[in-house]
Amino acid sequence: MESLKVLSMASAAARHGAARHSTIAENVANADTPGYVAKDLAPFSSVAEDFGGNSFAPRATRAGHVFASRDETIAQTAFEVMTKESVSPNGNGVSLEEEMVKSAEAQGQHDLAVTIYRKSLDILRASMGRIR
Amino acid sequence: MDSFLKAMALSTSGMDAQGTRLRTISENIANADTPGYRRKLVSFGQSFDAERGVGRVEIDGVSLDQSALETEFNPSHPLADENGYVDLSNVDLMVELADAREAQRSYEANLRMYDQARKMKGAILDLLKR
Repeated sequence: MESLKVLSMASAAARHGAARHSTIAENVANADTPGYVAKDLAPFSSVAEDFGGNSFAPRATRAGHVFASRDETIAQTAFEVMTKESVSPNGNGVSLEEEMVKSAEAQGQHDLAVTIYRKSLDILRASMGRIR
Repeated sequence: MDSFLKAMALSTSGMDAQGTRLRTISENIANADTPGYRRKLVSFGQSFDAERGVGRVEIDGVSLDQSALETEFNPSHPLADENGYVDLSNVDLMVELADAREAQRSYEANLRMYDQARKMKGAILDLLKR
């Protein structure tokens, strides 16, 4: 069942894409909130390395890490970024254009992960002699 | 699946806030010629939605622009003071139109995010249908 690793990797990537998308949705919704600083998630490649080569079990990298669910572990890596060189007079640091690009990236990663998941399932089915 | 619901709730709150802002702007434009009208200002703030664990956007409050009203010399006007000056509104149509365009742009961005979250959710649900 070596290919199951593919499934867990794909599902982690899809979860990461979804979590990043919701972080970006928060930025877009707060595009006019005074004093708001845009947030982003660490890229999936760094999160995947954190999970280790073989298992996707979350690692405690800091005292006080509690593992409730994978989503929360990923969400813990959210960090604040200044996307604009200069912030607007009311202290808002969200650039809508940049957020749109990032949301397309997140959606693309999610699509990719879901496609890989589906194809892997197809391969599994084919090995069981049930092609559709 | 929780992430999508979060993103959709956030985008909804954003559209709600921008919609209220747009309504306030149209109020200002409609009253541009009302004597003594002060333009309304909307400010946004964040509120924490404990149920979903997200920071929603909401209208922090509506305030009146306290800058000086425009005056016009018109002694025949019923509202003219003893010197013959009438207080007009302090609405600047150019400012209101620019504000309206910004609100519309932000609204569309939120709508786009909502649509994307919906499509991503659909992709996951398609896996279940197989």
